[in-house]
Amino acid sequence: MQGEFRLIGVGRRYGVRGPWVLRGVHLTLTAGSLTRIEGANGTGKSTLLRVLAGIDAPSEGSLTGRPRTAYVPERFPAALPFTAHGYLTHLGAVHGLARTAAARAADEWLERLGATGYGRTPMAQLSKGSSQKVAVAQALLADPELLVLDEAWTGLDAAARGELERVVAERTASGASVVFVDHDPARLAGAPNATYTVTEGGLDLRAAQAGSPEPSGPHLVVEAQGPPGARPPAEALRWATSSTETATPGHHRLSVPGTHSDVVLRALLTARPPWHVARVEPETTGTPEEPAGVAVLALPARSATDEGRR
Amino acid sequence: MTALLRYQAALLVRSQRWLPPFILYAVFLAVGVQGGQPVLDSLGYTAAAVLPVAAWLVRICAGNEPPAARAAVAAAVGPGRAHLACLLVALGAAAALGTAATVVVTLISDPTNTDHQIEVARLPAGAAGLLAALVCALLGTAVGALTTWPLLRSPGRAVPAMMLGALLAMVMTGSPAKSAITSLVTGSRAGTIPVPVLPLVAAVLLTATATALACALTSRRSS
Repeated sequence: MQGEFRLIGVGRRYGVRGPWVLRGVHLTLTAGSLTRIEGANGTGKSTLLRVLAGIDAPSEGSLTGRPRTAYVPERFPAALPFTAHGYLTHLGAVHGLARTAAARAADEWLERLGATGYGRTPMAQLSKGSSQKVAVAQALLADPELLVLDEAWTGLDAAARGELERVVAERTASGASVVFVDHDPARLAGAPNATYTVTEGGLDLRAAQAGSPEPSGPHLVVEAQGPPGARPPAEALRWATSSTETATPGHHRLSVPGTHSDVVLRALLTARPPWHVARVEPETTGTPEEPAGVAVLALPARSATDEGRR
Repeated sequence: MTALLRYQAALLVRSQRWLPPFILYAVFLAVGVQGGQPVLDSLGYTAAAVLPVAAWLVRICAGNEPPAARAAVAAAVGPGRAHLACLLVALGAAAALGTAATVVVTLISDPTNTDHQIEVARLPAGAAGLLAALVCALLGTAVGALTTWPLLRSPGRAVPAMMLGALLAMVMTGSPAKSAITSLVTGSRAGTIPVPVLPLVAAVLLTATATALACALTSRRSS
């Protein structure tokens, strides 16, 4: 996403004389930001997300700088005459991909969300969770610059829920803006840059953090070896809750939220010069022991986080 | 836009909801048109029946996606463009049906005027019939666009409004469809072939206006 996406004094009501569902909403989304929207049922969260996604036009106020947008609805009734793969290929093309690229992206995302087995199944025969995976995949096909998730986790299995959290971390790390609503307070805990509460049609900033996750939720400890005296890459430090250099020069121990471990590992491994990832393990409560020596085992990022999830 | 049209067309074809209007149209022609009848009369009949079919197809296309799927597409391309693709596919389907029927009717009809006295050239007659069918497809699309989501949502009001609208578009004086059909029928009596270009221009303008209105409203009405 380039520049800012801004909502200026946005209000929304249904019908010409209907009551205001939203009023006076000012919101600025910057590149790489993760925004959480909270609020009781029926306060207008979904309406706000629909305005953000461009599905509904504001009844007053304006939007500027709309990026390429994708939206995941809360429920995705799959009454469509396509197979999951066929639908995703169509949607990939609608999102702007060439047809072959769209078909490839459909395969990739079905695989990432653990739905490859349903790729050739007619949508009408999919379970609720599987069709929700299709709804999520549809939004991710073309690397959107703004991703709007309206309780997108609802109905997903544990593996897909974790994957979607990591996807959100990836998208924000690569400069996209993500806005989400979820009833689970632990969802991406500590990761959002800002949390807003929708109350009586208005928007209150509840918490703003400059991209420094709180030390809550499951964490992983990443130990990495860099050149002596070097600090870990900024992109890795951005997501780490703590970073300490151990006795060995250049050997750092980073505490990272589980959702962002892949992003941190990627930052370490793709740094110039690349860092050597020595160890990835779930953070144990209490003071972690000093490692006896530098382990030379470099775990693949994915299996390391899988370990962490179990 | 190509991807959107392809998606909407695939939705229409695979949903098989196009079958009832297509079958009804075929039955209507089988009853009303027989081989050896005066060509321009039969073409007028063929064109007129396209109008309600087009309106019905718009209704089908607009309701083909569940609201959640429509929202996903609307976020990607904007709700107006998504709805435009839907209307264009309905228009295309109606125009294709009208064209096919016009070709068949032109070939099986008698190339003469109403009382089989004056010769009427088959090819120009077919072209005139094609223009009239196109006028009716356009006007039917306009009627459909104005009587379905986002303008009218409850089927209790939308379906009667659509039927009444289609009927009025066919019989009301001043309607491009009515004047195109009338020109074929009067042309058949006199043995002259009309060129209903003016009704076509009027139909294009009317349909463009109706389509623009419907597309503009998509983001203002709830689904």
